[in-house]
Amino acid sequence: MLELKDVHTYYGNIHALKGISLKVEKGEIVTLIGSNGAGKSTTLRTIQGINRPRSGSILLEGEALEKLPPHEIALRGVAQSPEGRMIFPRMTVMENLEMGAYARKDKSGFDEDLERVFNLFPRLKERINQKGGTLSGGEQQMLAMGRALMARPRILLLDEPSMGLSPILVELIFEIIQTINKEGTTILLVEQNALMALSIANRGYVIQTGEIVLTDTASKLKANEMVRKSYLGIE
Amino acid sequence: MNENIKSGITFGLIGGLLTFLFGGWSVGVLGVLMGIGLGLALGPRFNPRDGWMSLAKQALPAAAASGAILLVLSLLQNYVIDPAIGQNFEDLDVVIPANLVGVVGGILFTCIVTALHGLSEEWERKGKIILLGLVILAFPFVDKFTELRWTAQIIFALIFVILGLGLNIVVGYAGLLDLGYAAFFAIGAYTTGILSSPQHNIFLNFWLVIWIAAGVGAIFGLILGAPTLPLRGDYLAIVTLGFGEIVPVLFRNLIDVTIKEPLTCWILPLFKIQTACITFMSHEDLTAGEKGINPVGRPILPIIKLNEAMGIELVIKIAVLLVALALITFLYIRIWRNGNRKVGSVASYAAIVAAILIVFLPIPRTRVAVFDNVLGIIQPGEFQSDNPIPWYFLIIAIILLSIFLINRLRESRLGRAWMAIREDELAAAQMGIDPVRTKLLAFAMGATFSGFAGAFYAAYIRGIFPSVFDFSASIIILCCVILGGIGNINGVIVGGLALMTADRLFLPALKDFLKGLLDHTVLPALSSNPTLQAAVGQNANPILYRFLLFGLTLVIMMSVRPEGLVPSAQRRMELHAGEESGGTPVAAK
Ligand SMILES: Nc1ncnc2c1ncn2[C@@H]1O[C@H](COP(=O)(O)OP(=O)(O)O)[C@@H](O)[C@H]1O
Ligand SMILES: [Mg+2]
Repeated sequence: MLELKDVHTYYGNIHALKGISLKVEKGEIVTLIGSNGAGKSTTLRTIQGINRPRSGSILLEGEALEKLPPHEIALRGVAQSPEGRMIFPRMTVMENLEMGAYARKDKSGFDEDLERVFNLFPRLKERINQKGGTLSGGEQQMLAMGRALMARPRILLLDEPSMGLSPILVELIFEIIQTINKEGTTILLVEQNALMALSIANRGYVIQTGEIVLTDTASKLKANEMVRKSYLGIE
Repeated sequence: MNENIKSGITFGLIGGLLTFLFGGWSVGVLGVLMGIGLGLALGPRFNPRDGWMSLAKQALPAAAASGAILLVLSLLQNYVIDPAIGQNFEDLDVVIPANLVGVVGGILFTCIVTALHGLSEEWERKGKIILLGLVILAFPFVDKFTELRWTAQIIFALIFVILGLGLNIVVGYAGLLDLGYAAFFAIGAYTTGILSSPQHNIFLNFWLVIWIAAGVGAIFGLILGAPTLPLRGDYLAIVTLGFGEIVPVLFRNLIDVTIKEPLTCWILPLFKIQTACITFMSHEDLTAGEKGINPVGRPILPIIKLNEAMGIELVIKIAVLLVALALITFLYIRIWRNGNRKVGSVASYAAIVAAILIVFLPIPRTRVAVFDNVLGIIQPGEFQSDNPIPWYFLIIAIILLSIFLINRLRESRLGRAWMAIREDELAAAQMGIDPVRTKLLAFAMGATFSGFAGAFYAAYIRGIFPSVFDFSASIIILCCVILGGIGNINGVIVGGLALMTADRLFLPALKDFLKGLLDHTVLPALSSNPTLQAAVGQNANPILYRFLLFGLTLVIMMSVRPEGLVPSAQRRMELHAGEESGGTPVAAK
């Protein structure tokens, strides 16, 4: 469904992605794990067109994305719950969700998807008229994910959905990610919380200073010596 | 003291003090206006469940207080101030009915408007709209009858209301700070000037030109908007400031324009190929520079004054108009109901424009007969300078149309895209919003309305002079928007009216008042020192300090009520979030 081939991305002179290649098949949860500053967010931002790759190609079901501007990529069914959440602070929860549905072409499914989001995140329904900027961190995370779901994306990119959340909320968010996936959404999940990510993903990639150093099924990665040492903190 | 009585006294004081400046019938008009204002302020303070009768009674003390203050000040004006500033005592024929209307009318309207709050929400809204409609409708006639001569000045204020509405799209909705908006006003006005004046012997009909001006405005909105696209915040403001400076300079200097076709004039001769050089324009004076374009054609509306030749034509036109309106309504409701809103909107706008064109374009008999309005021969139905009433209704119509269009825009997909861009451009792009298109359309739509305003302005003052469109004009328009409440249509209307009425009516009246006062008090006492006498006499002119006063108003507003006079609910919440919840206001990212 989504394929990156030898993608190089720079910030000025900083070579942030040094030839990333990865693949996400339809219906999968694929996770990209790596330590702080490894280039996980940059990978997602490159897929979304916010950062432009200097070379390499990004294909969404065969169509090249790497030359398209971000809004065109969004219109093709790529939605992201970004790092830092980036919700619209002065819009209400409802208005944020409506903005999420901006890209979709079939308006008829709006009510249905709204109900789905409210079922996944009942907390959002309670705060439907509250301004996005006044939500708590966890609620903002839910809103960012809900907003991305309202686009009914072909592929959902999640950038550290567990960041800054309490352990209970992290459990909840990961359960919801599984539910979303079971309902048919393909997911590329970026995480520092490698243990949680690998326990719900089908496959995983390990990224280190801009390079993919390891890839395997999630269960094999979980058993891998290097992964256990570096990312799971297990000796 | 009771809060309501305090409001009553405030309104009475404002009205009463203003009568000092205007005298004559002003107490009658101001009394009624203040009464309505007081009613609007009081209504929400009472419990609507008490019923309208009870609310009217509850408003009575405040209304009476307001009336009493008004009466005292007005009599003070008649019997003390007027003699002191050397005005003749007004006829009792004016004084008695004017005071009666002001006081009784004021009290009555306070009670009526307050009582509206006791009705159901829907009827309260309707009641307010009807009342507002009546005031707008009656105003110019009352003004004419009372010989106050305010209408001509109010029209200027209304021009700035349209400009404010247009700028509000750019600044309020899309969040792009535009410091050069007067450039678009100038473009609208010059388009009108060039297309309907002896400058180029083109005499297009005003009803056509105003749409062209709006269109040209929109095109220049795109052109001037394009270079600002990569810029944000401060940088954007600086570039728009530059455009605001460049455009009037351009119009000052387009007095000797030669446009040659480059291929035949320069490139082919380089290769020693001899051709006739094609020149599109040779030493053409496009804008008449500092002199300005004068006279500019005026609207002609055959309905205003009938003559025999116009009779049959008029009947046909009115019939066409009625049929068209019926058709539009029908179409609109049908298509709207069936859910295809886009088709519905486009069809109905097209139908409205077509109907307007059919009705208002006079059928030309000979060229001169149609266009001689410019050349000094008065046509039946032509708008005149000495009668502001048709102009007044024309600009009211333009404002209503603008409000309608802007409301539709705001609720459209584009409107939501503007809000998203204002909040967070990157996030908006991730939602599938094209930032380039969205911003360009904000500039274009904003400029459309300044096109309307420019066309009207050029026709109304019958000429165009480049100095009108300088930086100060941009700032005044921005002040109207900020004063009223950024992002809110009602706020912008109130802001524009308040600021420009103060500028156009209040300051000149204050100037005359001060002059009269000084002439009869201080100045004679200074006759021993003619230099000082002259200095005092010349400097006691508040019009000289108008920018100082604008500035002060803004500074005071920003510190006392930063959300504007009539803020949008959203801004009020943001700016006062800290006070209400004890937390810090949400930072706009
Ligand atoms: N806007 C930026 N400008 C310059 N360098 C950046 C920028 N954003 C990220 N980087 C650098 O790129 C590398 C990858 O960052 P990032 O993708 O955010 O890492 P991760 O999400 O894996 O923590 C880091 O070295 C970081 O410092
Ligand atoms: Mg990151």
